[in-house]
Amino acid sequence: MQYAKKLLDEVGIDNRRVEMFNMGASDAQKFTGAADEMTERARELGPNPLRAKKP
Amino acid sequence: MAKSFKEALESGKFVVTAEVGPPKGTDIEEMLHHIDLLKDKVDGLNVTDNQSSVMRLSSISVSHIIKEKGGEPILQMTCRDRNRLALESDLISANILGVDNVLCLTGDYITVGDHVEAMPVFDLDSVLLLKTVRLLESGKDSGGNELKGAAKFCAGAIVTPEANPIEPQLLKFEKKIKAGAEFFQTQAIYDLDNFKKFMKYARQFNVKILAGIVLLVSSGMAKYMNANVPGIFVPKDLIDEMAGAEKGKALEKGIEIAGRMIKTLKDENICDGVHIMAIGKEGKVPDILAAAGLA
Amino acid sequence: MIVADRKPLEQISSMIEGNNKILIVGCGECVSVCMVGGEKEVEILASQLRMAAGKEGKKIELGEATLERQCDKEYLELLKDKIENYDVVVSMACGAGVQFLAEMYDHKIVLPATNTRFIGVTEGEGIWTERCRACSDCVLAETGGICPVTICAKGLLNGPCGGTNDGKCEVDKQKDCAWTLIYNRLNKLGRLDSIREIFPAKKYNVQTRPGRRIHEAFKEKE
Repeated sequence: MQYAKKLLDEVGIDNRRVEMFNMGASDAQKFTGAADEMTERARELGPNPLRAKKP
Repeated sequence: MAKSFKEALESGKFVVTAEVGPPKGTDIEEMLHHIDLLKDKVDGLNVTDNQSSVMRLSSISVSHIIKEKGGEPILQMTCRDRNRLALESDLISANILGVDNVLCLTGDYITVGDHVEAMPVFDLDSVLLLKTVRLLESGKDSGGNELKGAAKFCAGAIVTPEANPIEPQLLKFEKKIKAGAEFFQTQAIYDLDNFKKFMKYARQFNVKILAGIVLLVSSGMAKYMNANVPGIFVPKDLIDEMAGAEKGKALEKGIEIAGRMIKTLKDENICDGVHIMAIGKEGKVPDILAAAGLA
Repeated sequence: MIVADRKPLEQISSMIEGNNKILIVGCGECVSVCMVGGEKEVEILASQLRMAAGKEGKKIELGEATLERQCDKEYLELLKDKIENYDVVVSMACGAGVQFLAEMYDHKIVLPATNTRFIGVTEGEGIWTERCRACSDCVLAETGGICPVTICAKGLLNGPCGGTNDGKCEVDKQKDCAWTLIYNRLNKLGRLDSIREIFPAKKYNVQTRPGRRIHEAFKEKE
């Protein structure tokens, strides 16, 4: 994950857009927590620059 | 000093050498002042060669100046910046400028200095440089060619008596002697007991040993060297003595310590002389000599 | 094997500036092993370049290919048709591979994606260290299998120098002093005699530039 984040840094895309969460398959609480976290981040960071400028 | 450095070494007297560091530029006023101050008080005056990999006025040009002023220069030559061709050329050039004492060094690495991107040469090392000096004396160069006029040198090298581990250092010391070193100036020593042990081993060889004396200016400097300079070990009691000096009198204390060490080395006939390194404090060398009873 | 580093993305981007049909070619040998230019790394670079282009709103066409190796013509030949669809080739091979590719396809712009570093070994997962400088005059027999040309910062043949301390090198205190290592190894093997004699100076003329080796069996008959 750290490496993937570095690759994004190199391109200039905020590396908080990607994250790895570890959880059991049935751990609903952890899953919703992670989903909430990433949704919050997406709001904060705005549209992905690749999407925003699609030619 | 009327005698040449070689004559001084062979006379059996307690030899004293000091050091001059050329400036980083063409303004030689301060350096000329140091040369004038020291040239008649010592048996030989070392001139460093781009010391610490910092580009400076060449040791060969400054050695020539010392010779012109009636002093006895000891040309320091490192292998860091020049290949064997250039080193040989500089050696025979030194001879025609009247410079016939040389200290053969490998040299600090490039990155410790101020031209960190430059190419480190190291075509030769200190052992091979010594061998090359003796080869030039035989009228040949290392390409196997006959010379039109051979060289003549009193050649030496350095040794680190407090190296840790000591065995590889001693192996190298013996190689330097095999290669033709006739005198050694040591890395700075502070522990006379350890140095006596080294001298016991060194006495089996027919070479002159001048103990390196580096002037301490503060207890902080001693601690810094202990932590950062390979082969230098300042014992606790000396650090405490420096720290205990009256405020503003640390330098005087350092001079006192240096003088005391030199006097002991001479009186107890521990080695053949001393090499005084007072980097940045060349003006204090006469005071050190006075403190040692050698003025 | 040959170990390389990938150039920073910024540098690669500026090299391909102005071109938008790029073929990225990886190599399956050394650069794959040191995780810098194999098939996976080709995909990663292509992905990054697409993202970078997308950010600027630029259009870019990226092709990907990985050859067995780029230092043999038989593998380079396989690119013959595909290469015509692109303006620029970014090779992820070592410097030798890049040049060989450029030589075969000299009508195409061929650019290096890596900085070739050294001949080395895999010390651990993801860690490669230099061991050989290809000096053409191997002295490992005399130094107990430790190369002074490579491991000693100054490349000394009669070491150690005055900058050694506690088995470490003054140049970088994390580095081992090669000559302390050599001394200890030879001592362990009972072979210290081989360094008691003065090692002669290195013969640099055996390292021709560029080097050339012809196998006996392939030498032209007189």
